[in-house]
Amino acid sequence: MAAADSSSVALRRRDLCSRGIRLAGKMRSDVINLLDTYVEQQGLDASASMAVVEGVPMAAVEHWDEQTGTQRLLENLAAYRAFRALLAQMLEEQREQLGEADAALGRALAAVLLQVSAFAYHLEELLRLESRGPPSEEGAGPPPPSHLGLFERKLWGLGVLRELAQWAVRSARDLRQLTKPSLGSSLAPSPAESP
Amino acid sequence: ESHIQYERVGADVTMKCGSMDWDAAVTWTANGTDIDESHLNGSYLILKKVDLTQSGQYSCYEGSSWHLKYQTYLRVGTPPREPVLMCRSNNYPKGFYCSWHLPTPTYIPNSFNISVIHGTREMVCEKDVFPKNRCHIRYLQLFSTVKYKVTLTVTNPLGKNSTTVTFDEFAIVKPDPPESVVAKPVPNNPRRLEVSWQNPSSWPDPESFPLKFFLRYRPLILDQWQHVELSDGTSHTITDAYAGKEYIIQVAAKDNDIGTWSDWSVAVHATPWTEEPKHLTTEAQVTETTSASTSSFMPPPTTKICDKGAVVGSGAVAVCWTAGLVLAAYGVLFI
Repeated sequence: MAAADSSSVALRRRDLCSRGIRLAGKMRSDVINLLDTYVEQQGLDASASMAVVEGVPMAAVEHWDEQTGTQRLLENLAAYRAFRALLAQMLEEQREQLGEADAALGRALAAVLLQVSAFAYHLEELLRLESRGPPSEEGAGPPPPSHLGLFERKLWGLGVLRELAQWAVRSARDLRQLTKPSLGSSLAPSPAESP
Repeated sequence: ESHIQYERVGADVTMKCGSMDWDAAVTWTANGTDIDESHLNGSYLILKKVDLTQSGQYSCYEGSSWHLKYQTYLRVGTPPREPVLMCRSNNYPKGFYCSWHLPTPTYIPNSFNISVIHGTREMVCEKDVFPKNRCHIRYLQLFSTVKYKVTLTVTNPLGKNSTTVTFDEFAIVKPDPPESVVAKPVPNNPRRLEVSWQNPSSWPDPESFPLKFFLRYRPLILDQWQHVELSDGTSHTITDAYAGKEYIIQVAAKDNDIGTWSDWSVAVHATPWTEEPKHLTTEAQVTETTSASTSSFMPPPTTKICDKGAVVGSGAVAVCWTAGLVLAAYGVLFI
């Protein structure tokens, strides 16, 4: 029975990972299209460089290949929960400030927000499979910086979308790592066992 | 005491004979050959608008004693022009390399210094032993949006120049071409060719970082390529080949998500399977003729080994065994 359970868990994990990889690919493609629209609508320079975007989870990671499966899932989940809140805020501001003229931008933002939510759900499901369960959400997440002027807010929004596009690539790679047989057992021990 | 002296092409060069007075009697040689006095101003050697052919060893001897008073090696060259620098990751996610060259030679030794900055961090680019003008870096971070800034400075005794390239992690990812491309005909299928290949060996982890492929093919007699993009797998069957025509086939690779396409692989040639041409005489006549000869010639079973039409990059085409037997039978007929 235990063997059958673990093989059904493995199958479910594989299925969730495969679908998650496809979702991440679609999400990235849509975010890149959204970036083009955003840059154009907001009158920004696409090559504008930003070192760190305040309040936005950065996809950059050191020793990525050494991460355990659980670490990958937890970091991804924290990021997408944050993006869910950030995109919801961006959508609300965009609707308030720019009205109907940017309906296309609003629709594109809403579509990406939906995908981010779906992806967060995928990650929660994967964590449930690890008998660990997803951590509870810590509230609405950090609000966008309020001290920024209008132009800086637009740049900040650009940074959010760029970082999300980066995360979409990282997430696909993370999920592929989870499907590797050698890493099937490299998920971290349950909370009871960890120090 | 020997010196090395570097001068620009087109410069006027004045060489003093060490500590000898201007009015001392001296003889100058260039690579052992006496230099005509018309090039001398007192004991100074004057070379006007030097060119590359004037590089060499210049020696000055005291007039009467032929004592060597001064020697220098003149190297005529140019200061470096702006170097050409490119960076690429063919082994993502391990790292990337940068390579460089000068657009025109300087004819004198150059030294290169490269700096790689990622955000606020300076990274070390380890020089490769071969090729010389190349260095590699291991990624410390992945999935960063912060750009890399690489500056190459080239210096020689006549001047310096530099160039800078800026890029992000994903943009420079370009795998090497696929390897071991094989194309072979499919028995009894005159319009098919089976193509297979392998991931480039430099790509470290195709399982986690899968590649997609682009295949192009055309008959040699036509200029227009057919293209097929393949999102997974390392083989493909062409099903619309022109019967009997030799094809040229190439494959390129790209990371599934990021970067650019590799260069095209080495081209392979293949011709789809064709049915054996029926010769004019009947089999019965061939059998009668061969049995009349004194040799006990027995044709082996007519198993075609025409899958030797498979080639790997060389373009050679094998001859079918059965065709050879028919020719042998004709030879016997005319003895």
